[in-house]
Amino acid sequence: MNTFRVIAGREMRLALRNRSVLISALIFAVWFPVMSALSIAVGAEGDAAAVAGGIAGITLPVGVFMGYIFCADAFLREKRDGTIETLLCAPVSLRRLWEGKAIGVTVPAYVMMLLSAAVSVAAITALTGVSIAAEPLLILHFVAVVPVWIAASAGLIGAAQLALGMRENQILGFVFIFGFIFLIVVLQGVAPGGGGLSVTTEGIFAAAGLALLALARFIAGKVTKERIVRTIP
Amino acid sequence: MNAVEVRGLSRSFDGRDILRDVSFTVGHGEIFGYLGPNGAGKTTTIRILLGLLAPGTGEVRVLGRDLAADDEARAHVGVLFENNGLSDRMSAAGNLAYYAGLYGVEDPAERIDELLALVDLADRRDDPVGTFSTGMKRKLGIARAILHRPEVVFLDEPSSGLDPGAQRMVRDLIIELSRREEMTVFLNSHHLDEVQRICSTVAILAGGRIRAFDSVENLTTASGRPSVTVTLAGAGEGACEVVGNLPYVTECDVDGDALHCTLADPTATPDLITALVGAGFRIEEVRRSSRSLEEIYLEHVGRAEDEA
Repeated sequence: MNTFRVIAGREMRLALRNRSVLISALIFAVWFPVMSALSIAVGAEGDAAAVAGGIAGITLPVGVFMGYIFCADAFLREKRDGTIETLLCAPVSLRRLWEGKAIGVTVPAYVMMLLSAAVSVAAITALTGVSIAAEPLLILHFVAVVPVWIAASAGLIGAAQLALGMRENQILGFVFIFGFIFLIVVLQGVAPGGGGLSVTTEGIFAAAGLALLALARFIAGKVTKERIVRTIP
Repeated sequence: MNAVEVRGLSRSFDGRDILRDVSFTVGHGEIFGYLGPNGAGKTTTIRILLGLLAPGTGEVRVLGRDLAADDEARAHVGVLFENNGLSDRMSAAGNLAYYAGLYGVEDPAERIDELLALVDLADRRDDPVGTFSTGMKRKLGIARAILHRPEVVFLDEPSSGLDPGAQRMVRDLIIELSRREEMTVFLNSHHLDEVQRICSTVAILAGGRIRAFDSVENLTTASGRPSVTVTLAGAGEGACEVVGNLPYVTECDVDGDALHCTLADPTATPDLITALVGAGFRIEEVRRSSRSLEEIYLEHVGRAEDEA
């Protein structure tokens, strides 16, 4: 069997069995869109495109945060427990291990993001009566842009968690999350039409997501087994 | 070609020398004991052999290959670290199935059943590992380490935390693996009694250097040569003058009524007795003397501490 599938499949199964992580993710997936729904509904003033833009705007940070939540289980726990050392002795390259884990984190984080998006749509529809389910750009956003950002955040955070010590990781987790959210806000600011949903905005976010993914891959390539082993607590 | 080769290995961390010019080899099918006090560098050596750490200077090979650079070569090597490498949230069978997938084990279901039966965990195959005792986790860890039928297996303190019954089971399992599957076992252990019972060769690491490297048999007989202790009826004065110049006696020492002789020829004991009786000494007891591995270990470690 393909080792990539073996690693990714195991991370997905473990994510489903970790009740505390699942509960945290579910609470965030429901709480954040419900809290945001009112401000989106008021700001959009019944404009379907503006509502869709608002939903697109909140799903990116939600997806990135979900990636962070699931990374703690896939990367940091293995390091804290020391089981990563045994995995590094398997006939699998470090890059393949990182890729499998990153995708194993991305899938449950993406599912949680979809749940969060569904809650957003339902809450805003209930508040405004505006139907936005078939907005093509929003679907493109969910299918093409958000997964790339989740994969990039999971890959970057995962690589950092492998390379850094426990204390640095505690600090760095928040730095990454705020860094990603800051980047999203900046990109929304520079995109023509602000944070509204448009082909240009989606193109900018897709390009930025791919660049982040390439950066994550580059950084993961620089992490060595020695670095990982020497930072095991 | 040896199963494990270490030549001139040195490594330091943050300016502190951990390993200094370490050299030893482990033959195929041997059970090799790697001994040393805490912090001596045993785990560092294993990590370098497994390609997890880079050597400072020197060269290491496992099955003639560099595991750091050769992903495929690692498929022939098994390893058990202190943490067992298991996920507490997965079942016993689930953990083994994961590693079977990583190592490309053929017919994994059959192999998993075989190993769970071997370590007496067949009835717990579907239980989460988090519910297991320390001993059960250790046994499952050993099953995981040999799942892919490695040619060489590195076991880091395999009996640690186990009750005497489980320790015996682990000991028997290691011996069986070596005999039945011709597996080379690299055993890193503090249990000197265990090492003496099951290992064919040992190396003692202290102060970053190899202090002794030989077969257990050679190490436990004085200076690697047979020695005898002869208890005389009466004082042993003059006994060394009688036997000290015999060609097969290399060392002679008298302590009260006990005469200690180290022999160059292990078959020379009857000749030694004949010489003593011929010189008028009366003999009460003759026994081959040997030292325990623990005594040898403590002697080498003590010497290393004195040097430091």
